[in-house]
Amino acid sequence: VRPLRFALAQGLLLNDALAALRAIALDVSRVTPGGRRLVVDGGGNVEFVLARPSDIATYVERGAADLGIVGKDVLMESAARVLELVDLGFGACRFVVAAPRGALERSLDEYRHLGSLEVATKYPRVAEAHFRARGLEVEIVKVAGSAEVAPQVGLADWIVDLVATGGTLRANDLAIVEEIAACTARLIANPSSYHNRRAEIAPLVQKLADWASRSRSGSGSGSGANR
Amino acid sequence: MESGGRPLLSPPRGFRDILPTEARELRVMEQTLTDAFAASGYLPLEPPLIEYSAGQPAQARLIQFLDTDGSLVALRPDLTTAVARLVAQRYRETAGALRLSYFAPVFREQPAMTAGEREVVQAGVELIGPSGPIADAEVLALLVESLERCGLRLENMTIHVGHVGVVRRFFAPLEEEPRSLVLSALRAGDLVGAFRRAQEAGMTPEDTSRAHTALGVVGRGIEQLQGHDVDELRQVIHLARERWAGSVKLWGVPNIGLVPALPYYTGIVFEALHPDVGVIASGGRYDLLIGAYGAPRPATGFAIDVLRLHRALFAEGWRPANVRPLVTLRPVGDERMTMRCAASLRAAGLSVAIGDVAETAGIALVAAAVVDERRVKLGDGRTLDATTLASELAT
Repeated sequence: VRPLRFALAQGLLLNDALAALRAIALDVSRVTPGGRRLVVDGGGNVEFVLARPSDIATYVERGAADLGIVGKDVLMESAARVLELVDLGFGACRFVVAAPRGALERSLDEYRHLGSLEVATKYPRVAEAHFRARGLEVEIVKVAGSAEVAPQVGLADWIVDLVATGGTLRANDLAIVEEIAACTARLIANPSSYHNRRAEIAPLVQKLADWASRSRSGSGSGSGANR
Repeated sequence: MESGGRPLLSPPRGFRDILPTEARELRVMEQTLTDAFAASGYLPLEPPLIEYSAGQPAQARLIQFLDTDGSLVALRPDLTTAVARLVAQRYRETAGALRLSYFAPVFREQPAMTAGEREVVQAGVELIGPSGPIADAEVLALLVESLERCGLRLENMTIHVGHVGVVRRFFAPLEEEPRSLVLSALRAGDLVGAFRRAQEAGMTPEDTSRAHTALGVVGRGIEQLQGHDVDELRQVIHLARERWAGSVKLWGVPNIGLVPALPYYTGIVFEALHPDVGVIASGGRYDLLIGAYGAPRPATGFAIDVLRLHRALFAEGWRPANVRPLVTLRPVGDERMTMRCAASLRAAGLSVAIGDVAETAGIALVAAAVVDERRVKLGDGRTLDATTLASELAT
């Protein structure tokens, strides 16, 4: 049986994720953010795999990794079938619908006349599900980066984007129309691994859940310092 | 079929050709499984490949198209739903127990570039009519018997048994609507979202934490829980072990957190998990599904993912029991003589192909040249008659 494999998202979440793992006494000393080794030994029959955030869900869904730490935003966009076990609390951000400041009325008027709005986003699945639930008729325009310039250049009327502080929206003269979902980092598991290797996984889940609730109540050595 | 001047050789995404070596192994499994089902009184049936989309489970990822009359139809995503429809139509007035089985493909849409298979072969049974632990245990035991008879070693897999009723009961403080939202989050695997919704809908922290603990219960931990449904779960495992002792004494692990993705389960649920290939088979009680077609009837059943079972068997080094070798008969100039010689070899019980054979699918070949109507010459120089060759190859 191979070691329990834990997939970690490189990028913004990595330092907080390592802090959480350190706090539950896992050995993350061999994980070097930005390093070249992507599969590293974590001691005690655990190993870590570093991957792009959007690949974490794929690794865990297909059982290439047993556990993972990844943002809820990534999970929502991937629609991977994994178990979401613990809300780790860090990496907070929100999916929002945004429109050029002061142009909301005009675009709604346009919607009444033309029957459809164009929405630019990096997150087509999240955007589509949201507008379908709302009963709004939109055309999704998928972009690979910087959706916030889309209204300025006439690519789309609105955008759906992920915001942490809202600074980027303000800088591009956009205002939030509505919030779709609040997202934080999640501990996820492959369903088969979770049932098959419960004896190894359950203690880690319990410790991370305790750690998360301690950091939420502010009494623990939380991860806020990194943000 | 051509595309830009070049013939299209690969099948559509998510579909594949099954070549003789694998197909032969699958036939052996099919025979073993259908024999096992028949030995417990399950009769085969064959619903159509296509069903109306409207009758399929809401979460099913359908491969759909329009029929010529404009109705939306789908390749069946699931056989349990097809059997439920069939029973509601054909056995509407039947009061007793129906034992039905199938071995057939089902089809599910998969996103591109995820290595997802769109065609899955399922072997399964449905026990319709009886309710209660004896019926649940019969089906659970038959699943384990079927897997073991195929050659899968029980010590290499785990049979998890849960109870959707227990899960539902721990969220009983909620109103019907929030509770169904909580259950659909659990079916999707979103435990974080499920407990958050429960708390938002007014469940007390004590009740929430009790539900949280219960959903983590696996194995002997079940002794901490009480309730008639918990007793039922334990009883079903005990009874199933009586019905099929298996190669592992205490097979069957209670697991309250087992909540299948399909929405129709109402009671006992179970999964056979293999460490390398994941879920090989799953099933459980679905007392409300047939009622949705207008003829309420308790029911339980399971489906084995045959291709995954094959992969698990393959990983464990399983190969089908040896079939008799194939005699490849080198013809002589006299064609009538060649055909008569082939006929006498066949009459002696041998498998015979005239000429050379390009695909053997792992079957041993015995080369023989025609000598006369009843005799052949083997590669080692011996000349044998059909009966002698047959008895030699039989040993």
